[in-house]
Amino acid sequence: MLIALIVFGPFLGAAAAAVIGKHNEKAGDYTALFVAACVLGLTLVLARSAGSTPLYPLEVGAMAEAAVSVCPEFAVPGILSGGLSFSVNGFRAVYAVITALMWAATTLFGLEYFAHERENIGRYRFFVLFTLGAVEGVMLSADLMTAFVFFEILSFTSFTWVIHEETRDAVNAGYTYLFVAVIGGLLLFMGLILLDHNCGTLSFEGLSEALRGAGASAGSTADPQILAAGVLILLGFGAKAGMFPLHVWLPKAHPIAPSPASALLSGILTKVGIYGILMTALYVLAGELRFGLIVWAAGMITMLLGAVLALFSVNFKRTLACSSMSQIGFILTGIGTVVLMGAAGSGEAAMTALAGTVQHMINHSLLKLTLFMAAGVVVMNLHTLTLDEIRGWGRNKTFLKIAFALGGLGISGVPLFNGYISKTLLHEGIVESIHVMREIAAEPAEAGLSIMAEKLAVLLSAGEWVFLFSGGLTFAYMTKLFICIFIEKNRDEARQDAYDRSPVCMNPASTAVILGSSAFMVILGMPPVTKRLIAFALGSEEIMHFSALTGENLKGSCISLAIGGAVYLFIVRRVLFRDGSYVNLWPQKLDLEERLYRPALTKWLPGAMGAVAAVFGENKVLRPLCSKGFFRAFQSIMFLFSISTDYIILSLRKTIFREKKVRTSGVGQISRIRMVIEGTEEAAAPVIRNFTFALLMTCLGILVILGVLLIVIIHITA
Amino acid sequence: MSPLFLLIPILLPLAGGLAMLVRPIKDVTRRRIWCEAVTCAASACVWAAALFVRRDPVSVYSFTRGFAVNFRLDGMANVFALMISIMWPLVLLYAFDYMKGDEARNRFFAFFIMTYGVTLGVCYSADMITMYLFFEMLTLVTIPLVSHYGGHESMFAGRKYAAYTIGGASLGFMAVVLTTMFGASGTFIYGGSIDGTYDARMLLLAFVLGFIGFGAKAAVFPLHDWLPTASVAPTPVTALLHAVAVVNSGVFAVMRMTYYVFGADFLRGTIAQAICLVLAIFSLLFGAVQALRERHFKRRLAYSTMSNLSYMMLGAMTMSPLGLKAGLAHMVFHGIIKICLFMCAGAFMHRARKTYIYEINGIGRRMPYTFTAYTLCALSLTGIPLFCGFVSKWQLLQATLSAASEAAGNAVPDSRLSQILPYIFYAGTTALVIAAFLCAMYTLSISVRAFFPMDDKDWFREKKVKEAGPLMLVPIWIFAAVNLALGVCPGPILAVLTAIGEGRM
Repeated sequence: MLIALIVFGPFLGAAAAAVIGKHNEKAGDYTALFVAACVLGLTLVLARSAGSTPLYPLEVGAMAEAAVSVCPEFAVPGILSGGLSFSVNGFRAVYAVITALMWAATTLFGLEYFAHERENIGRYRFFVLFTLGAVEGVMLSADLMTAFVFFEILSFTSFTWVIHEETRDAVNAGYTYLFVAVIGGLLLFMGLILLDHNCGTLSFEGLSEALRGAGASAGSTADPQILAAGVLILLGFGAKAGMFPLHVWLPKAHPIAPSPASALLSGILTKVGIYGILMTALYVLAGELRFGLIVWAAGMITMLLGAVLALFSVNFKRTLACSSMSQIGFILTGIGTVVLMGAAGSGEAAMTALAGTVQHMINHSLLKLTLFMAAGVVVMNLHTLTLDEIRGWGRNKTFLKIAFALGGLGISGVPLFNGYISKTLLHEGIVESIHVMREIAAEPAEAGLSIMAEKLAVLLSAGEWVFLFSGGLTFAYMTKLFICIFIEKNRDEARQDAYDRSPVCMNPASTAVILGSSAFMVILGMPPVTKRLIAFALGSEEIMHFSALTGENLKGSCISLAIGGAVYLFIVRRVLFRDGSYVNLWPQKLDLEERLYRPALTKWLPGAMGAVAAVFGENKVLRPLCSKGFFRAFQSIMFLFSISTDYIILSLRKTIFREKKVRTSGVGQISRIRMVIEGTEEAAAPVIRNFTFALLMTCLGILVILGVLLIVIIHITA
Repeated sequence: MSPLFLLIPILLPLAGGLAMLVRPIKDVTRRRIWCEAVTCAASACVWAAALFVRRDPVSVYSFTRGFAVNFRLDGMANVFALMISIMWPLVLLYAFDYMKGDEARNRFFAFFIMTYGVTLGVCYSADMITMYLFFEMLTLVTIPLVSHYGGHESMFAGRKYAAYTIGGASLGFMAVVLTTMFGASGTFIYGGSIDGTYDARMLLLAFVLGFIGFGAKAAVFPLHDWLPTASVAPTPVTALLHAVAVVNSGVFAVMRMTYYVFGADFLRGTIAQAICLVLAIFSLLFGAVQALRERHFKRRLAYSTMSNLSYMMLGAMTMSPLGLKAGLAHMVFHGIIKICLFMCAGAFMHRARKTYIYEINGIGRRMPYTFTAYTLCALSLTGIPLFCGFVSKWQLLQATLSAASEAAGNAVPDSRLSQILPYIFYAGTTALVIAAFLCAMYTLSISVRAFFPMDDKDWFREKKVKEAGPLMLVPIWIFAAVNLALGVCPGPILAVLTAIGEGRM
């Protein structure tokens, strides 16, 4: 029942806020806040009661017995053909709480943010709360169908956030977002139906049981249809997560939304996609090597591409959005490693990578909450986000400076802050996976995996360096932002003076929210706390043995930070900073959407179909050919026929029937022939005018039938 | 109750309409009451028939031996008849408002309710001859509706409509003749009525001819072109006839022919199935792409109808109980959705006096109820869960996928056709998904324009455009609500359709 309240409560709350907000703006705001706070309380109660069922069993080979037992705790049977079902375990409970927490924080922050921008606020309030219910629905779902239903709801409700401001850019970003969302939804739909077709069920428990029967345990290869379904589901959820190649909407949509919404889009909605991918990886394709590689590779590309885009960007929120993309890449890499290690049969490495994945998800949500709210403070004071214009603004804003610094330190993975632990775990997972692959390669075995293991080990080692390099880039672009906003002075001195004269930039409530959320960077940076949290989320004590601050682990972090420092000093300061201003050197033409997706849909596909239609359709080729050609032929036959009859009659009259004297004037004969021709044309004209393809087809059809019948009859008689 | 009762719902609207033609009703209120009363009475008869009439065939009139007008009530007839029995009175309400002030209203309403009777005739007919008869009648009574406005464009549309559908029906007639000549009796029996001695090749030829011919009314390529042209007709006509009644009777006829004359078992795995599948797949993609290119609001919806009708054809052509069920489900659900979409388009055209999509920016603020309903139905048409379009799309994909696996299982090494067939099915599923995506692009972009105009392109900021009146809004919202209700609880209706698909009803 508690789950029902958490999932469906916000829907009612949204309606209530909309109705109340119509009469009294302030009361509407507070209703929204009240609903979010209530949901937060309820999720906390839910988390207390959540059992610690393991998210991922230790022994991958024997995963059958340990079995993922998610007990359905709430179900609405009978609707939507399969019914809805929800359940709770540690991981879901944690994410339900984080979702509610983020909603409460952004709503509180929104009170100030939207204080002066009241346009369309009623719509925004309604859809934000509605999305809360949908997100909780996905996070607590016990089967893919339920997840899909709520996923689609949140796809469409969050669309209104992107397009909130209704400027040209917002509308364009909105279209991109909408179409990627629709594509994602349909790919997911396709994947689900393939899965349902092959397994007969979509509940997580049922799926892992059905596929275990099919032998999808360690290293074995699943049915190609299941793999196809997995890839489709990956693309579908990946579209929402901002995974390459469906990432195109993310750098457009996140910056354009109002900042509280950006925090949610970036912090939670991407995680909804990740949640789906993680569940698919754990319950459907746990031991599928190819799937693991695909996820891993997609993660690597997303990670690097996002980081590079963020480094080049000269817009505050766009940098943060690209950074989100990059961090999603880190998480996807983690999931890929989990699946790869599942395939290799190494439960320990898989567990490490899984812990890193989950922890990085949590960290990234909270990090982006802080960072985007900081960006929101900039927007509500200055109404611009271009780095050159906001440069130097934060020099005397102490609280904001502290919060942003904590966020930056956290996301860059500096030791003692939260990002360090999760990135270290992910790194550790990759390192262990390299070891595992080398071991398998060393063993003389004729199994399929060992042949590939050598190559995989090389690939994974390359991946490790990409990982460290992307981590370095994270540090570089966060330093770029921090130095630009909080340390440097603006080029325009008058503007700098104006900035320095106003040290207060937000009200106490917002300050509390931002500082409170940045406190998580420190709290979750403490290994004991984090380890407890992960142990609860994973439902396993395995991770408690991990020690974060060892020399080996610090080494990885230091390499990363060194790379970051070098990139900042030699690329950002030297190349991307010219004549005292930040420039974006990223070639504008390298845009996947403009170069590939839009032309494909608006030009290539219709063009191809149009060409086919021109050949087979009636207006271009066939109809003129048929109607004119057909009638020409008909006319000439008639012509020949009439002439010949004329001459036959004439000659008959001259020779045999010579009773009367026949006037044989050439003019007369010609005119008679002329009359016949004209008569034919006259008769044909209206027919030609009304002549259509269908009638022609009918005539042809009749001819064909007659011919066939004739042949048949001849055949029978003969 | 005797099956002769079926004549009452068929003849009642016909008589009612004829009476209006013979003695025109001048008074607006009296005419409205008369039309609504006749339609509601016929609908009541349809429901009574569904509940009480025995499932026996009845011969009403015999021209010669073996050539008679026969009626029979069965599950499939019931589905179609009950569906239109709900739609007709509601769309009539909408038409009262829409046609306000039109000079030739009397003629319009007369033919409009006469069409009801004829469509019911198509539903209840018990063999191919009877169905063919009503099929031709359907064309004839709807021509005046298509060219109602009488301008050059309307007359052309009417002529084109007549040529295509009569031409198509003549192909259908050949199919009827060939079928009865070469081994099938033409009576509708689930599983087919082919008797002992038959000529398989001629029957397959008959089937393909019938598919193209009866498919002309369902706008299946190559005889599809009339549908977009016919959207110049008044909106109630496009909404009810060119989205539901007429076009669905095309689909209905093909389904009857496939499952009740030839039988799915006879056709499965034949070249005829392959040809029809390819035609259906092509037209569903073609319709979707053309809809995306089209800028005229109603023509875009018409192309979308073409695409969706081919979904049903694709479902039917899987030659499996699942496919018939999926096709029927899409027939019902698409009817509900598309009728609502067209009525919203009509409300927009009626109030704002605009017809093109780029003229729509910002109308959502002025007509919020209309365009909220539009958006709900657009989402449904795309196949978003919670709406009924999703349910039928799910069924369709399931049907094609299981047909694909079955075809792959039946593949024989030395038969090229049996090896290609699974791939045609896979192409079909892919095409369905692509078409669904295109559908999202062409329907949702209208919603986005309506509700989120760019600041400098809000055409309706200053203009005072009134929201549609209650006579329009009530039917629109009834359909939108039914769309949502059936999407959330599709269980009962799917159970009925499953029974029909398996021949149990």
